[in-house]
Amino acid sequence: MIILTYALFQTFGLEAQTVRNFTLKDLQNKNRNFEELKGDKLTVIDFWASWCKPCMKAVPELNKIYLASVKKGVNIVGINCDGPRSASKVIPLTKALKIEYPVLTDINSQLMKELNLSAFPTLIIVNSQGKIVWIHEGYVQGDEKIIQSEIDKQLELLN
Amino acid sequence: MRNYISCLSFFLLLNSSIFAQFSGQNLLEYQFGKLPNESAKEFSTVYNRSLLNYNIGNFRSGATIEQFYSPIGSRNYTKFSQYRVQYFSEPIEIKLGHLYETIGRGLLLRSFEIPGAILEDKSYRSRQYFHRDILGASAKFSYKNFSTKIIYGAPTVNVLPLTFTEKERRTDRIGAIQAEYNIGSQNIGLAIMNLENATQNDWYANINTSGSAFSFLNYYGELAKMTNNNSLSDFSSKSAFALYLNLNFSFDGVGLSAEYKNYNNFVIGSGFNEPPALIKEHSYKSLNRSTHVLQPQNEKGIQIEAYKYFANQTVLTLNYTQAINQFKRKYVFHEFFTEYNFFLSEIHDIKVFADLAQDPFNLETDRFSSGLVADWKLNADYSLNTTFEFQALKRQTSKIENQVASLAILIKSKTSFYLIAEKSNDPAIIEMGTKYWFGGGFKYKIKQNHAIQLFAGERRGGPACNSGVCYEVLDFKGIELRISSRF
Repeated sequence: MIILTYALFQTFGLEAQTVRNFTLKDLQNKNRNFEELKGDKLTVIDFWASWCKPCMKAVPELNKIYLASVKKGVNIVGINCDGPRSASKVIPLTKALKIEYPVLTDINSQLMKELNLSAFPTLIIVNSQGKIVWIHEGYVQGDEKIIQSEIDKQLELLN
Repeated sequence: MRNYISCLSFFLLLNSSIFAQFSGQNLLEYQFGKLPNESAKEFSTVYNRSLLNYNIGNFRSGATIEQFYSPIGSRNYTKFSQYRVQYFSEPIEIKLGHLYETIGRGLLLRSFEIPGAILEDKSYRSRQYFHRDILGASAKFSYKNFSTKIIYGAPTVNVLPLTFTEKERRTDRIGAIQAEYNIGSQNIGLAIMNLENATQNDWYANINTSGSAFSFLNYYGELAKMTNNNSLSDFSSKSAFALYLNLNFSFDGVGLSAEYKNYNNFVIGSGFNEPPALIKEHSYKSLNRSTHVLQPQNEKGIQIEAYKYFANQTVLTLNYTQAINQFKRKYVFHEFFTEYNFFLSEIHDIKVFADLAQDPFNLETDRFSSGLVADWKLNADYSLNTTFEFQALKRQTSKIENQVASLAILIKSKTSFYLIAEKSNDPAIIEMGTKYWFGGGFKYKIKQNHAIQLFAGERRGGPACNSGVCYEVLDFKGIELRISSRF
């Protein structure tokens, strides 16, 4: 029965999920929604946590990508998923890392659950219709080139 | 069989014209092996979790099926373990079914999910997904700077497997209402919660506040108290309360977090609350296994953590933790931790750490741990990871040493092969001499949606902490295959 269930799942086609207009608090306690933060052409959403070592490696690289891409209609939004145990570390870490892009907090990881994401870090690229066009899990040195390359590819497709 | 047909009918009915809004994930784990000290022969078990979501407009719905099979029938099950219908449309959010809700920083209520973690309790030996949810409903209303939420439902006793009935796994009923108001970057929240079960009908109140005092200073404070018999001003040793405070400082590449806790008689119901532990959760195996477990019945303490980021991605982390438990006698836990992360020749990522702790509650003194983790970049596609950890401690008259070593080859972000070895002379694990554990495996990602993991050998169990939740991982000897998929 497990094998049959699994096989049935495998037959479903891969269709793009959409990101709804979610609202989460930023680090200044202000409610921010996806519509106001998304890029004109693409939005990169990075799900991270302070206890996740690869996340900490990825963040400075994403900062560089953000500064290079924001004028091209690409915005980056960081969604921090630290639970109560480590939530205290988020603000000082964000400031120590000098993150330039908006960071929102999701203490229950609700958005990750909705999008069936389970690894940290996970980075998704969302187009202007809210559809997820690319997902990348994990981070090793050099992945920033793959991410930048995918952003450039998606921008070219839009042109 | 009935459950399986219901599941099949469910997604066949929804299949026809609504392909685009379906999504899901599947986790399959097969084991052939046993607990190393078991007298039984090796046997096969299969665990599977299938999650199916359907979204349309502002509605989101989903269901989860979990299945477990082993040669021992009493451990087996096939169940719809979760279902949910949710509606999101500003200013309203409504959720029905299985929810995850947290009030404040978890002093009163905390639900969680440990992604990808499968829990097996030594007593029941059945396996299930590791999470604590609430079966019930919640509704949230937000308007400008104000929001309010109502929660009603029954949290799980998550250590009980799915072979138990829902009634047995959900013995508590909670009803809570919370409200928050923002004034600029300052936030104040209030909550009231009622707990009802076979022996209790208790009321709790909670107040929390957060914000920034200056550009370099942020704060968070939360106080929760049982309010039966109008005992709001009673903070004696017989009362039940929890106080949590946090200050954050940031300046010139330096971050500093200081926390204080004072918890007294604050395990609520079956333990569905989870106040912040103020204990560092380590990623290093030897330290993760030694994490001090919070005792909310009586614990006070502080945690101070500082990090400095340098221009060349070098990071220095310093952490001091103290926890005081007053039971029949006083126990004082101390831990000093430091970690230095730097790049060698600008490409090789090196981390070294050292930790010194006194843990009288676990009868451990002079616990010193140290290690080195290195990612050696061989070329654009290949890297080598080497790990060595060493730990020495005293427990009563025993001098104990633990060691961990691993070697892994990583190919891009898709494939990895690894070998791991552990060594210990801990008399709690082995009567005399030294015990060794050897294992190895690989992980392969098929595109970004599927991953296969294989482990073979012997794995050391023990306490583990993940995403702020601590639990027991069983030893294992055998073969384990895990396939995870996302659709």
